[in-house]
Amino acid sequence: MGDFLTKLWDTAVVVVIAVAVSAAIWVGMNLIFNQVRDHWSRFTAAAYGACGFVVGALLSGNRITRGSVPGEGTWDTIGSWLWLPLLSGVVAGLVGWLLGRVDARPARLAIGVGGLGAVGLFSGAWVSDAWIPEFAAVPLIVWTAIGAAAGAAASLVRRRPAAGAAMIGAAAGWLVGAWAAPDLGVGGSRAWSAVTLAVPAVLVGLRMALRPLPTLTERSVFDQKTRAAVFIGPALIFIFATLIVPTVQTILLSFKDRASEEWVRLANYETIVNDRKSIDVDGWSNIFTSRLLWLGVALLVVFAVLGVLGARRTGHAVELGSASMGPLIAGGFFVSLAVFTSLRGTIVNNIWWVVVVTLFSTGLGLAIAVLADGAPFERVAKSFIFMPMAISLVGASVIWRFMYVARDASKEQTGVMNAIWIGLGRLSTGREVAGTLVFAVVALSGLGAAIGAAARRRWARSATLVVATALAVTVVSVLWAALSPGGVRVAVGLVLTASFAGLLTLVVKPLVRGDHTKAFAPGLIAVLLGWFLLRYWQIVGDGLGGQRPNSSGETISDPIFFIQDGPFNNMWLMVVLIWIQTGFAMVILSAAIKAVPEELLEAARVDGATASQIFWRVTLPQISTTIGVVVTTLIVLVMKVYDIVKVMTNGNFDTEVLANSMFREAFLNLDRGLGAALAVLIFVSVLPIMYLNIRRMQREA
Amino acid sequence: MNDVSMPTRFPDQIGGTGVLDRVYRFMRNIPSWVLWLVVLIWSIPTIGLFVSGFRTRDAQRATGWWTIRPSDLTFDNYDTVFSAQDSLGKSLLNSMAIAVPATIIPIAIAAFAAYGFAWIDFKGRKALFIATVSLLAIPLQVALIPLLRLYVGGAHFTIPWADKTVTVFPDLDLVNTTTAVWLTHSGFALPFAIFLLHNYISSLPNDLFEAARIDGANHFTIFWRLVLPLSIPVLAAFAIFQFLWTWNDFLIANTMAGTNPDARPTTILIANLAGDFGRNEHVLPAAGFVQAFFPLVVFFALQRYFVRGLLAGSVKG
Repeated sequence: MGDFLTKLWDTAVVVVIAVAVSAAIWVGMNLIFNQVRDHWSRFTAAAYGACGFVVGALLSGNRITRGSVPGEGTWDTIGSWLWLPLLSGVVAGLVGWLLGRVDARPARLAIGVGGLGAVGLFSGAWVSDAWIPEFAAVPLIVWTAIGAAAGAAASLVRRRPAAGAAMIGAAAGWLVGAWAAPDLGVGGSRAWSAVTLAVPAVLVGLRMALRPLPTLTERSVFDQKTRAAVFIGPALIFIFATLIVPTVQTILLSFKDRASEEWVRLANYETIVNDRKSIDVDGWSNIFTSRLLWLGVALLVVFAVLGVLGARRTGHAVELGSASMGPLIAGGFFVSLAVFTSLRGTIVNNIWWVVVVTLFSTGLGLAIAVLADGAPFERVAKSFIFMPMAISLVGASVIWRFMYVARDASKEQTGVMNAIWIGLGRLSTGREVAGTLVFAVVALSGLGAAIGAAARRRWARSATLVVATALAVTVVSVLWAALSPGGVRVAVGLVLTASFAGLLTLVVKPLVRGDHTKAFAPGLIAVLLGWFLLRYWQIVGDGLGGQRPNSSGETISDPIFFIQDGPFNNMWLMVVLIWIQTGFAMVILSAAIKAVPEELLEAARVDGATASQIFWRVTLPQISTTIGVVVTTLIVLVMKVYDIVKVMTNGNFDTEVLANSMFREAFLNLDRGLGAALAVLIFVSVLPIMYLNIRRMQREA
Repeated sequence: MNDVSMPTRFPDQIGGTGVLDRVYRFMRNIPSWVLWLVVLIWSIPTIGLFVSGFRTRDAQRATGWWTIRPSDLTFDNYDTVFSAQDSLGKSLLNSMAIAVPATIIPIAIAAFAAYGFAWIDFKGRKALFIATVSLLAIPLQVALIPLLRLYVGGAHFTIPWADKTVTVFPDLDLVNTTTAVWLTHSGFALPFAIFLLHNYISSLPNDLFEAARIDGANHFTIFWRLVLPLSIPVLAAFAIFQFLWTWNDFLIANTMAGTNPDARPTTILIANLAGDFGRNEHVLPAAGFVQAFFPLVVFFALQRYFVRGLLAGSVKG
């Protein structure tokens, strides 16, 4: 327990210090800049002091000055190098304070040159032996000239007097020429090192002293301009340090070898492209033998026929909500599946993820948003769909691993998916009765109806329904006991076929009226149920579900190894992300649907538009921008999917994706070059999205 | 019938009471049944995890979680999870130590910046804002390798053609600490935070600022006294977002602190548990549920703010 408290205490201390320091710096900056208008000298004192401190800290921190060599204890280390920054801070602050109030030019010159020159001279004389520079005239002159010219040019471009900037530029150039160019610590005198720091200090002092005291107007303008920097600066510095610089570094690293020592040009990228694990096109011919392809092609043919018919009627082959759109999307999807399952590899998997997760999350999200719109208990329903958003991807992967558990055929299945699969198999072969399914249907529909009635505040009906459900369950179980398994199979089949027929009327009726939306949901269920019935009555194949005859003719369970069996195990991994992201798409699209102006809908209704026409022609175009936002957000998110693959398979069983591959190469195989190249690939693939986002923001701003 | 309340949804209601009419009505209401069916399907995985957490090891191995028998129920899994050597308690603390600063610090920094972008006029404001916010889409992977190097050895800048190296950021030995993780999170969160807060702060009424300026308030005062209190809802929205994101993060934590048991958060502990197949499988549901507990509480308690943040971040932008 003591351990626990210590840890809690340490954590709290770190948090408080971090927050307090960042707040103090920012509030302090604001308080300093608050002085600009009315107390100029206070501001200059603080600003000069801060600059002096930072320069001193850079010198000491880099162990350039004498005495700043690390000591034993923490305080020795900090204390030994802290005095120079403090001293230069105080002196510079004093100079600033004086420059902030003295107006006479000779006095200003004396203060600026003398004060800062003294600081430079002293720091230079205090440089440790290892850092004393040699005297080298040529680089010194060249660099100083370059610096002065650059400063002057920058000022001239902005149509300002060039002298001041030339001085600052010369100071910077001098520093480079005197310190960076020559050798350090091999001869060279201490006097020269004092001069090398004094000269730029004097130049800066001169520049500052030559500038007259600002008037109130000038100070106000200065206040305005700098305040933006104070407010935005911290964020920009943070972003610069944690995003921009590392990104540039990664791009550079991707052109170096595994230890980032030698430049290797494009070798890392070549490794990726040539690796059969990245893109394996050997199976391309399987595309044409894939049933998915022909299913897709058949759907596309249906699309073509419907499109021609539609074009004859309305002049457009494809329209939002026209009958030809469904086959087009489904056909394209199946064809792409045929491609993805035949070509294998990391990059193919990544594209597969992007296509499937984006399509399904957006589509399901939109469908649920439409379904839920105005339904009783809409908010409750939506928050259940939305809930997975709060669960971590790791947690979700664990959850779904339990859903996908596959056990030996002789044992009972403990994973939901396989239990359903085997249950379906038992039901459709009539070997055993999956009573739970029928009970569940009866009980759930009864209780659902009761809840629905309660939602409409018809309590009596609700109570009746509960009682009726209980009775129905009893009756079913009695009948159950009386019937033979084969009889039950026939009975269940008849009930399902009857429902299928009922569904068909629901599909046909709105289609005849041209109300495609109403036909969509029942149509979808009818297709699924129809397929099930074809299998169930053994018109196609023998039964549906996890049952197969073994060598001795007995029927045994045949579980699916969702995580291990490729290539569709990729799809089962994608399900996890779809499970999470559908809620995201639903919430956003639902809000967009509700934001469609009521007048528009009303006008459409007055004009006699059907619900379907209103949805496709009014609502959908209105929310198209939002759909675009959802799709782009999802693409960026899916492109870098990592957690799910890591936890579920760690890239085994042909499920590797770029992000997991990048992590393994960079941090486990310690091949920084290859890891960086993979990261750059992910980065490059989201660049088009970044471009689209920028365009969108430019339009809106 | 109660049709008056929803005339547009059921314009062609068949009012008959015959059996066929009822069947037809039932069938036609399938969409709303489908909705609840979807809700059920969506909840099953989570319910399964919850129930499994309370089942004994033997029960978990023998039967599915839906066959609940009172004799199978136990708290042992939760007991094990909290008392084991690398206990969940410790990594819960680590998760807190990461999520709290990683939530507070970006909020503060981004709030200043959002105010600056929204209400301080300067040249190139729009371009700078768009440039900042467009960084939203940068995949984290592209920054991880150099950042890890920064935490391992500090940042050093070699002056080109001079072969001299200057230390810009000292080696603070941050690798494998929670500090490295929350620092990284703070940086990565900023573009989104600025975007979200800017959307809100820039839509505050201009009159408010005019009045304050006439009263002689400077930007600092306006921000502190006016904007901050008014922005509480959007600050809350972002805080929830960021808390969920950092609490649930796996990639950054695994990169920066993956090997140190004293610094790793719950997600890593659970991923490791899931990694050693079989042995600890029976405590996994309990551990997973504890890990998801805080985010779920935050989510259900503050869902309104969360949704608001999500919408401000997507629909308007």
